[in-house]
Order: sequence, then C-alpha cells, then structure tokens
Amino acid sequence: MRNFILFIRRFSNFLLFAVLEIVCIILIARTNTLQGSDVLSSANTVVGLISEKRDNIAYYFRLRDMNDSLLKENARLQTLFALSHKSYDTLKDSLVSQSYTSRDSTHIIQYANYIFRTARVIKNSVTATNNFITLGRGSEQGVRKNMAVISGNGAVGRVLYVSNNFSVALSLLNVKQKVSAQLKDGTIGSVMWPEGNPDVMIMEDISQQIKVNIGDSVFTTSYSFFPQDILIGTVIKKKIVKKNNLQFLYVKPATNFRNLQYVYIVENTKMEERLKLEDSTLTNTKK
Amino acid sequence: MIRWWAQPSGFPVFIPYLYPLFILLLPLETPVWLLLIIGFFTGLTVDVFNSTAGMHAFACVLIAYLRTNVLNALLPKHLSEYGNQIPGIKNMGWVPFLTYSGFLILIHHVAFFTVEMWSFHNIGYLLLKIVASAFTSMLLIVCYLLLFTRQTALRN
Repeated sequence: MRNFILFIRRFSNFLLFAVLEIVCIILIARTNTLQGSDVLSSANTVVGLISEKRDNIAYYFRLRDMNDSLLKENARLQTLFALSHKSYDTLKDSLVSQSYTSRDSTHIIQYANYIFRTARVIKNSVTATNNFITLGRGSEQGVRKNMAVISGNGAVGRVLYVSNNFSVALSLLNVKQKVSAQLKDGTIGSVMWPEGNPDVMIMEDISQQIKVNIGDSVFTTSYSFFPQDILIGTVIKKKIVKKNNLQFLYVKPATNFRNLQYVYIVENTKMEERLKLEDSTLTNTKK
Repeated sequence: MIRWWAQPSGFPVFIPYLYPLFILLLPLETPVWLLLIIGFFTGLTVDVFNSTAGMHAFACVLIAYLRTNVLNALLPKHLSEYGNQIPGIKNMGWVPFLTYSGFLILIHHVAFFTVEMWSFHNIGYLLLKIVASAFTSMLLIVCYLLLFTRQTALRN
C-alpha cells in the first residue's frame, strides 16, 4: 500500500497527463462515429450565439455577393417554373413544400415529400479535413438530424448535430462520407472529396463504355438523403486509371463553399418510413 | 511566389495555429499539473468552436506535458530559480526560445494533423501540411515576439 501511494506521488504528473489524454481520445472517438453527442460541437448554444454575433458583423459586407446569388437562383427557378407547371405550396414565408412524383404510364408514385426551410450560415470552414457548417436554425424551427442541406447552386451537406436554435452540418468537403451521384445518362457512382483543395472533388470507378464529356453535370440520386437531381458539380477533367481500366473524374462542386451565406435545409417527410423499412430488411436478412 | 503560396488551390492547405503560444508563455515555475489542466481547457475551447471535439485538447495536453522537460534542457538554471518570469527572448535569447517554441509547435502540429486526418493514406500530403503549417505558425510567433516584447533599450 505504501509503495502504491509512493508510486502515485512520484508519477502523479504523468498519471494526470495520461488521464487527460484518454479523456481527449474518448471525446474524439465519440465524435468520429458520426453520431456523437452535440455538447461539444458548435451547435452548442453559447458558441452558436458568439458565432451569430460575429456573423452579424460580417454579414453586411457580403450583401452584394448574396444579391447576385439570389438573382441567379431566382432566374433558375423562373425557368423551372415556366417549364413545368407544378404547383408550389407556400405554407409559410420561406417554407416551401414540394412533393416528388414520378409518372409511370398509368400510376403516379410518390416516394418523397420535401419541405424546404431557409437557414443562415453563421460559421463555415473549407480548410479542415472534415468541414462543418453552423446554421442559425435548430430543433425549435423543425430541423432534425440527417436532413439534407442544399444551396441555390447545388448540394452542400447533411445536418449532423442539432440544438434548440442552431445546427451543425457536415459539408460535402469531408473524408468521412461519400455521396451517391449520377451522371446525366443515369450512371450511378459516388462523389468523394480527396481533401485539400475545396474546388476539386472526385468520382471514381466509372466504366469506360460510358461517354463522359468535360463540362457534364453530376447530380444527386434518390438513393441518398439528398433530393434527386440536385446539382453536385461539373466534370472538369477525366483520366483512365491503368490499374483497372476505369474512368476517374474530377468534379468541380457547383456550390462555392468559400462564401456560403444562405442554404436550404430539406426535410423529407417520408424518409423515416423508408429508413425503417430498409433497416428492418437488413435485420431480417441477417437472421 | 507569394500569390502561389497564399492561394489555397496553389499549395496544399496550411493552417497556422497561434494559440499554443498561450501555453508556451505561461510563467516558468507553473507546476506541471496546472499546465496540464490549463492546456486541456485551452484546447477544449478551441475544439468547441471548430467542432473538432478533443483534437486540439489532445495536442495541447501533449505540449503542456513536454514543456517543462524542454525548458529544463534549454535553460542553464533550475526552473524554480527563475521566480515569476515568463519564457521570452529577453531571459532566454533568440535561439533557445525559437528552439523551444519551434520544437513544441512542431509536436503540436504533428499530433493535431495526424489525429485530424487519422490515416496515413497520403502521408506526403500530411507531412507537407504539417511542415507548411508549422513554418507559418513560427513566422506568426516571431511577429508576435517582435510586436509585444518590451524594448527596454528604446525607453532609456
């Protein structure tokens, strides 16, 4: 016993060091599962408030850019509206509901029902290995985990943590998660970020028979949490990998992650039902 | 050259971190346990704002622990004899202080970026990121020292 106490006294500093490092490792491990707690993220109320204050100052200086992007998006929506006379249901200012249907000769299949909510970006980064975006809307405004985040130009990311008034989204610029994507002819693949440059993402393993031109668009698919046909980016370069003779595409993201200001948080009201079914299928096949 | 350096697309991303300087500049006779706790909470504060729970804290606790050993190796007298002084270029000289801060900043960056990336897939990129970030951090630290060291010669 005496030896034990002596040992502790002698190595007390080292023990404290070891304990603190283990605490850090536990914290890191908890967040790296992608489902970690939201206590230590910037969805935290105090941190959110400070970020919001800072953003309120910076906001004024970016009004000009924002005007431009809103004009561009308005123009895009006007053309869409003119092309297809779908009905848009305005429930509330800035809350738009749109159901996604696919017409299959005689039947109409409705597999998704989207609600769009606008949100201000109050904190953003592009330089880390996994980049997070803090949004000024939280569970009180109806934001839930795993909702898709898109901007006027294209796909942005996925909501990860939610607090009462703030939420944190993992942007596409991360190395944790690939996004299911399709080329304009319907070829499905996945887009990932090789980290480093926020202007380049990659799409691997496209077979050589598929003709891809520089400038082709890459869209999201209905397989993922994103709504279908949201632009991810455009192909800027392609090469053929010698090893397996598959095409390797470089994609420039449609969203400019450096100056994100407003985004839409997309809720799919039918997602829960779909996930439940898919999960039960998985567990049933395992048995 | 400078434009190429400053463009995020021209050069692998480098991110200087100046905040470890807070731990480096604590008074010389601060006990190790206090250093560790201060380091932990400094790191945690940075983590909370960056959504990187624990990564900065990990690197900070590491350099807070190594700080005493590095200082003992570099300074001629025992640390308790220095009283209330803080480490700086005035009582250490340029070369020992830069060795001290450079070594610890490098360790901080190695720990942080390795934990952040958590793979050695592209080890070249990782090393380049560490070296570029540490170099830029050191530049900023030298700027800090030049700006905030009291110039006794000027006052006389």
